[in-house]
Amino acid sequence: MKAVGARVPRYDGVAHATGRTEFVDDVRIPGTLWVKAFRSPVHSATMTNLDTSRAAAMKGVHVITWEDVPLLEYGHLSALGIPADEPLLAKDEVRYLGQPIAIVAAPSEEAAMAAVAAITADFQERPALFDVRKAFDADAPVIHQEGNWYTHFENEMDRRQIRKGNIDEAFDKADLIVQGVYRPAAIEHAPIETQVCQVVPEANGRLTIYSCTQALYFSMGVVAAHLQLPLNKLKVVGGTVGGGFGGKVDTATETMCALLAQKSGKPVKWRWTREEEFLCSSTRAPWHMEVADAVTKDGWILGRKMLTLHDSGAYSRFSPYGLTKHSFHHTGAYSIPNLEFNGYVVYTNRTPTTAMRGFGVTSVSFATETHMSRIALELGIDPFELRLKNANRIGDTSPNQIAYTDPSTVPTILAIADAVGHDLTSEYAGMTPAQRSGDLLPEHLVGQLGNPEAH
Amino acid sequence: MASEVLMPSSPSEAVSLFGDGAATTVIGGGTVVMPEITYGRLAPDRVLLLTNAGLDTVAVDGDTITIGATTRVDALAELGIDGLTACAGNVADGEIRSQATVGGNLCVGQGHEAPRGDLQGALLALDATVRSTGSDGERTESLETFLPHRHARLVLEVNFTRPAASAFAALEYPHTHEYTVLAVSGTRTADGTIRLAATGVAGPGARLRSAESAASDPEAAGAAAVNDVTFADDSLASAWYREQTLPVLVRRVLAQLEEST
Amino acid sequence: MNLTINGVETPIESGPLTSLLDVLREELGITSPKAGCEQGGCGACTVLVDGEPRRSCLTPAASVDGAAITTVEGLGTPENLSPVQQAFTHHYAAQCGFCTSGMMMASQAYIDGGGTDDREAIQHALGGHVCRCTGYVKIIDAVAAVVRGESFDPNVTAAGTAMTNLGGMA
Ligand SMILES: Cc1cc2nc3c(=O)[nH]c(=O)nc-3n(C[C@H](O)[C@H](O)[C@H](O)COP(=O)(O)OP(=O)(O)OC[C@H]3O[C@@H](n4cnc5c(N)ncnc54)[C@H](O)[C@@H]3O)c2cc1C
Ligand code: FES
Ligand code: FES
Repeated sequence: MKAVGARVPRYDGVAHATGRTEFVDDVRIPGTLWVKAFRSPVHSATMTNLDTSRAAAMKGVHVITWEDVPLLEYGHLSALGIPADEPLLAKDEVRYLGQPIAIVAAPSEEAAMAAVAAITADFQERPALFDVRKAFDADAPVIHQEGNWYTHFENEMDRRQIRKGNIDEAFDKADLIVQGVYRPAAIEHAPIETQVCQVVPEANGRLTIYSCTQALYFSMGVVAAHLQLPLNKLKVVGGTVGGGFGGKVDTATETMCALLAQKSGKPVKWRWTREEEFLCSSTRAPWHMEVADAVTKDGWILGRKMLTLHDSGAYSRFSPYGLTKHSFHHTGAYSIPNLEFNGYVVYTNRTPTTAMRGFGVTSVSFATETHMSRIALELGIDPFELRLKNANRIGDTSPNQIAYTDPSTVPTILAIADAVGHDLTSEYAGMTPAQRSGDLLPEHLVGQLGNPEAH
Repeated sequence: MASEVLMPSSPSEAVSLFGDGAATTVIGGGTVVMPEITYGRLAPDRVLLLTNAGLDTVAVDGDTITIGATTRVDALAELGIDGLTACAGNVADGEIRSQATVGGNLCVGQGHEAPRGDLQGALLALDATVRSTGSDGERTESLETFLPHRHARLVLEVNFTRPAASAFAALEYPHTHEYTVLAVSGTRTADGTIRLAATGVAGPGARLRSAESAASDPEAAGAAAVNDVTFADDSLASAWYREQTLPVLVRRVLAQLEEST
Repeated sequence: MNLTINGVETPIESGPLTSLLDVLREELGITSPKAGCEQGGCGACTVLVDGEPRRSCLTPAASVDGAAITTVEGLGTPENLSPVQQAFTHHYAAQCGFCTSGMMMASQAYIDGGGTDDREAIQHALGGHVCRCTGYVKIIDAVAAVVRGESFDPNVTAAGTAMTNLGGMA
């Protein structure tokens, strides 16, 4: 255990500082073809007359469309039994601007661009939806093949729901109901290394895939499924990521490059432009969160009703998972004993959204922390004291009934108070995360206590 | 798709190679043209690369200043004109400023995502004249008359008189590459004439003439300025936001000019 | 065309409008400068042209014909790290490492140009460089340390100057 507590040098520090780290784009394989994509120029449309013949006739150019994909639809969470809803390459419907339709490989970047320019299709545009709240309206145009929200939570339920305690009683007893709506926007991860992949067809029949993925085994499974190949036909080389932040969890390039390598018999490389990265790569989701809290005059939160709409973009990908995490954390760092949470994964015509640094949780942290300050303001209570009073403590339970064994809310709030020079009364300044008792265990919190030893 | 690349080694050679300019793409610093080529949006047949054309001279003759078209943006600071220094210092970052040229900044087309051509504002406020060549031969005219039809002209030099005072104010944008959302430049000549110009408005930089005539009353000048220009939305800001903030910038520039009396 | 790259005179075959970045990466296989955006916006491609930091993606090859180019490969080797390389390692200034080459070249030019250890001045000098990982604090720590002439054991990682960017807020 030499490393524990020590300041160890980075294993890749010297390689970075000498420019020798081999990122995917730095892998040099002679004869590599450049890959470029023909993408949907519109947000939502029926596509007809896709014609790649002129591109395919160009010297040294190889083209793939949906017809070349052995298994066209395979979901990122298919392995967990979540049904696939997204074709690898668009077949007859396009649901977001930049959705890939045909992919070309050519001897040079210019030739690949020229080949893409030679591909044509007709698009019959439909109205597109970009606001998750509007997409949830009963009379919104239907934009996804399954309707405007995901319907495959447990028992084919159309939402992720949490019920804890007795919400009606909490709202009856409240002195005040404090409400708020919170709508964090989409964020592009913007790694400095754009999406990039190289695939080399090996003499032994395997495909070697150099990938910047953050989720190597995910990518391997996704490629194998689409190509209908056993895993032992794929060798994935990963581990060097030029920034990901969640944006390199989705398998954005590997499958299409693998197909092109198979079809051409040549090594291929696809490096997205910065423009593609911004326009076509997944983003953190925009969210719409409505919170209503039942509070008492002296600053206890008795109950929370919450509606969350998670903007999945055009397809579901990892969103059901992100929303589930969100639901487990929807009280933030605080103990609220009575809960009624309904969350929906809603489709829009945005680029499909994905993980980013605390998938599903940062949104609710933003909502909760803003809401705590709002409650403090409405009650005229010190916002630090309100937080410390309701902070998670050992033995309190999460929305999904997990007892906390080592919650850090109290020390964190105390550290913040210290950092900004906020004076606290000794009652609050001396708080610890110890199990609730005395004044800190009012009647309404008794029933939610769990056994921290059970975990 | 190889282009023919011409590298003149003197101003006169540049003029003759440019000819009527019809089918020629000029590259000064290349900071705008190069990405266009890389991204395949521009495939020029004939390129005039000005690197060695000898157009980077700066001549100071008393209060008269003449700067060659390929003078680098960062070299403008050396002239010691406050407003111009601030305006040039607000373009991109140091590395871009040491590559980008004045000619490129004057001739750059409107950006779709963000305004560019920031120097137009400072140079309009300096009442600069431009010497250029093109289909009807060489021409010297005010920058204001040049800007609307700068297409297919080769800028050779820009000329102006050192003002008694000059100032610059811009809307800051919190990002490493602060493309300027909206900016106002102002000058006062020895005889007290005030000139104001804005960039970040719709179209190229523009003089704020109504604001100039109301300059003695900064409130009124600010309010008048919105009638001198039109505004557009882009990815940095809305037209509405720009309209609200232009009067503020005009007042700031007038206050700076007042201070330097 | 000819370039003197890290001291070695090298004939260039790429076309005159090929970007210096492509000349280095694609023609010559010098991969330390990165293609982060190819439109001047990130700084990952910065190299020194006659000692000045330049976005190689914006630079037509013909415009630097005959120039001396320095890339990270010209700074030092793993066995013999330059001060900037030592400082970036010691101060944990490279996280994913993708922005690092450009950051180091710009830092080198700043230091060679007589830059001070003033944090704001360093920030200004690196203003065109985007790093999505580090939050910049440790990069600025590293550059300031080089200016101060500190020397490092690259096998030890320094404690960060945590929260220095909050300095003005409290
Ligand atoms: C990251 C980044 C940030 C930027 N930020 C700003 C900013 O804040 N403000 C701003 O104004 N701009 C900004 N720009 C845009 C650009 O760098 C500047 O406008 C610059 O001054 C353009 O000059 P150049 O010499 O590089 O232009 P070039 O790319 O060489 O040319 C630009 C245009 O002008 C033409 N041209 C060039 N020279 C001449 C000439 N002598 N005669 C006739 N036509 C000519 C070219 O044909 C082309 O159409 C930014 C660019 C980048 C990449
Ligand atoms: S690649 Fe040159 S600045 Fe981004
Ligand atoms: S270390 Fe990853 S972008 Fe800077």
